[in-house]
Amino acid sequence: MSAVVTVTDLTKRYQGVTALDGVSFSLAEHRIHGLLGRNGAGKTTLMQILTAQNFATSGEVSVFGQHPYENEQVLSRISFIKESQTYPSHLRVAHVLRAARLVHPGWDEALAQRLVDVFQLPRGRNVRKLSRGMLSALGIVVGLASRAPLTFFDEPYLGLDAVSRQLFYDHLLADYTEHPRTIVLSTHLIDEVSDLIEHILLIDRGRLLLDVEAEALRGQVVTVSGPVAAVDEFARTGTELHRASLGGTARATVRGDFGPAAPDRARSLGLDLEASSLQDIVVRLTTSNNGHAAGGAAAADKEAVR
Amino acid sequence: MNRALTVARLQFVGWRSVVGWPWGILALSFLINLALFSAMNEADDFEPTTGGLMSIYVVMFVASINAITQDFPFAIGLGVSRRSFYLGNVLNYLGQAVSYAAVLYLLAVIEETTDGWGVNLRFFGIPFLLVDNPVLRFLSFAIPFLLLGFIGIAIALVFKRWGVNGLLMLSTVALAGIGGLVVLATWRGWWSAIGGWFADQPGWALLVGWPALLTLLLAGLSYLTIRRATP
Repeated sequence: MSAVVTVTDLTKRYQGVTALDGVSFSLAEHRIHGLLGRNGAGKTTLMQILTAQNFATSGEVSVFGQHPYENEQVLSRISFIKESQTYPSHLRVAHVLRAARLVHPGWDEALAQRLVDVFQLPRGRNVRKLSRGMLSALGIVVGLASRAPLTFFDEPYLGLDAVSRQLFYDHLLADYTEHPRTIVLSTHLIDEVSDLIEHILLIDRGRLLLDVEAEALRGQVVTVSGPVAAVDEFARTGTELHRASLGGTARATVRGDFGPAAPDRARSLGLDLEASSLQDIVVRLTTSNNGHAAGGAAAADKEAVR
Repeated sequence: MNRALTVARLQFVGWRSVVGWPWGILALSFLINLALFSAMNEADDFEPTTGGLMSIYVVMFVASINAITQDFPFAIGLGVSRRSFYLGNVLNYLGQAVSYAAVLYLLAVIEETTDGWGVNLRFFGIPFLLVDNPVLRFLSFAIPFLLLGFIGIAIALVFKRWGVNGLLMLSTVALAGIGGLVVLATWRGWWSAIGGWFADQPGWALLVGWPALLTLLLAGLSYLTIRRATP
């Protein structure tokens, strides 16, 4: 499988702020990548640089083997749907679709029309008069119907209700299965997309924390609970990301290469073991500095906040 | 070049408002003038001249600012290069300038043959700098479109790239520069010479030659600016 995107030591600084700090990774072809991270982690900046909408301070970016800046060959194969996209104020929904059809060589008009019906978008309505959710749906229609070999969705669901989000996931998966392409999905609703994502990139404060297959990650992070001594014993074999204590019992999230023997080992120690959800993993990784979490009270607070 | 054409077409997906605004406002301005001067019933030697033609150029100027503040983020967001966007925009303006100038020329000819729409009204003919050569006359309708278009693009690009501070800086520099020149001209007593220079310029130079030169300069500077602009 060849790499569609290669990023080497990418750094982006705004005045006084480092948005991206020496990020390196590559994206394999025909996969759904989840780009995860907190607000302001650098996700949007990264996608803007990959689509040549923004400029790197240093580092190398290669998309389809070339630099994307002013590169029509590369840009015509990319679709970048972002929550903050604005439209010329005199355009109607149908106009936006016609414009997208002009620009994207792989545009599927039948799919676009079908999706407009699915999301119940009013074709004749001016874009300024669309609700937040309808604007998001319009972006989703453009992103899916463009059939671009490399498609970025940057938090495309703002204002969308649960039904519409599920429709988005369903249509994304269906169309992706039929027309494989490289998709990057940046989202905060991690649990909703955890079944969709095949590869995970986690960014925090401009640094890449994770670059891993979703399947591999799921077995790597577990939560064990039971007597403190037993939890200590189990946690020795990995990196403890988080711990909450109550009296003589503790509950700890641990990352390590446990393998299939982990449940047996936990049971022999008298511990309950559960696999952490993707959302748990992301929260734990971005809130702990991989060290032991501070004492019971602070950890319990974090637990409560979550 | 293909992509530039795509951009030009993209800017016309909502063509009703692109074409409708300038001509709608011009038509309104014309009808008001026509009604006004018909109602006045002045003597035959009175030849009213209006500035109503300016309205279509003002709309063009506003539209060119919108091209950068609205069309640019949209087109770049869809995935065209800055170069293609710029070239497409230039194509679009050239097309509009040429076709609009042709229509205005035609209307000016009709105005002359109908004795000012029957009421001696001069709306489309520009009286004070009349050029006889048909080509130059056509260009004197077309070039101001381009000039205003590129002034709008240049100003909007300064805003796009350097924000409000950039615009303030530009205004400050322009004010200081022009003010300085005025002071210098007054101090050295150059005003009569300057007035004489303008009076010596033929009409075509003021309506076609110098604006064309300024347009080219602005077009070049705008291209350099847009290359590093973010949507």
